[in-house]
Amino acid sequence: MHEVTILVELVKMVEEAAKENNVASIDTVIIQIGQLSSIVPRYMREYYPNTTEGTILEGSKLKIEMIPGNGLCHHCDKVFNVAKNKGKCPICGADDWELLSGREFNLKEIVVTENKS
Amino acid sequence: MDELKVIEIKKSIYESNDVEAAKLKKDMKDKHVFLLNLMSSPGSGKTTTLVKTIEELKSEMRIGVMEADIDSDVDARTILKTGVKAIQIHTGGMCHLDAPMTKEGIENLGIEDLDMAILENVGNLVCPAEFDTGATKNAMILSVPEGDDKPLKYPLMFEIADVLLINKIDVIDIFDFDIDVIKKRAKRLNPDIKIFPISARTGEGIKEWTDWLRSEVKFVKESN
Ligand SMILES: Nc1nc2c(ncn2[C@@H]2O[C@H](COP(=O)(O)OP(=O)(O)O)[C@@H](O)[C@H]2O)c(=O)[nH]1
Ligand SMILES: [Mg+2]
Ligand SMILES: [Zn+2]
Ligand SMILES: [Zn+2]
Repeated sequence: MHEVTILVELVKMVEEAAKENNVASIDTVIIQIGQLSSIVPRYMREYYPNTTEGTILEGSKLKIEMIPGNGLCHHCDKVFNVAKNKGKCPICGADDWELLSGREFNLKEIVVTENKS
Repeated sequence: MDELKVIEIKKSIYESNDVEAAKLKKDMKDKHVFLLNLMSSPGSGKTTTLVKTIEELKSEMRIGVMEADIDSDVDARTILKTGVKAIQIHTGGMCHLDAPMTKEGIENLGIEDLDMAILENVGNLVCPAEFDTGATKNAMILSVPEGDDKPLKYPLMFEIADVLLINKIDVIDIFDFDIDVIKKRAKRLNPDIKIFPISARTGEGIKEWTDWLRSEVKFVKESN
């Protein structure tokens, strides 16, 4: 369900970008999802065809790039994967760290054909 | 064959919501109405806590409630019995409210005659934390039966909450729940978070919580 809400928002963003850039058709939409965000890539792919139906995105491909959930340990300055290490620094065991990445949801690029002018 | 071209966009999906949220926040401030966003898992006691809160405060301020928790008007009817105004926001099964939906709710509720508007968000600890509603303050409830490990599982919710209400402390003896541990875990994620242990059933701790609310409402009322 969450993914549908997100997809509706994504469609709006792509439509806007298409208008601004004189786009004729969209071939591929490339998004970035953080590993620690609440978005499940599998559901995004599953709901993509339905949510894009009747829009300029209909028939386009969805490409997903994952961004790792990385934390910076405040004790030993080591960067580590938060999910893999269950929220603890694998080097010194500290759980005092800050999140560097992993909560993103970005529209990165669109691959398009342009209107002939 | 038409030539393919790559257009770089690099824009966060949360960006447009954040813009709308900032607008709503400013609008509420200008109108001197305090907007509280109340979040928790289903069944943590949002509606019960609201009833107790309203009973404590309704004689001294004008309150309105927007119910979005589940798509039926059961909670809205419960709130209406307290005598304050309440509406149901029909979310169509959505998992979170965003700023545009909150704004629409505010328009339907009507806030010209209010000091405080309260939004009971959809019961979920995940994505409501990602979507700023534009509320003046965010409060979350964690109830004792849910366990004191929740800050480890849902860190973002604890990071964005201004207040943590630990509800159902009347049953703390039958659960393995350590108040000191939860305080430590929540403060580590969010050093400024205010924590009030309460029981919406017995009324314990409600005074401390409503004292905080009262001073926040007053602050918004008197700011310019
Ligand atoms: N024992 C106990 N039960 C509570 C307390 N607060 C709420 N409940 C019960 O928890 C259930 C869910 O409460 P409700 O307010 O509907 O939760 P919501 O889904 O978050 O709005 C109801 O059966 C309430 O009676 C409390 O402080 N102590
Ligand atoms: Mg409820
Ligand atoms: Zn370390
Ligand atoms: Zn959601």
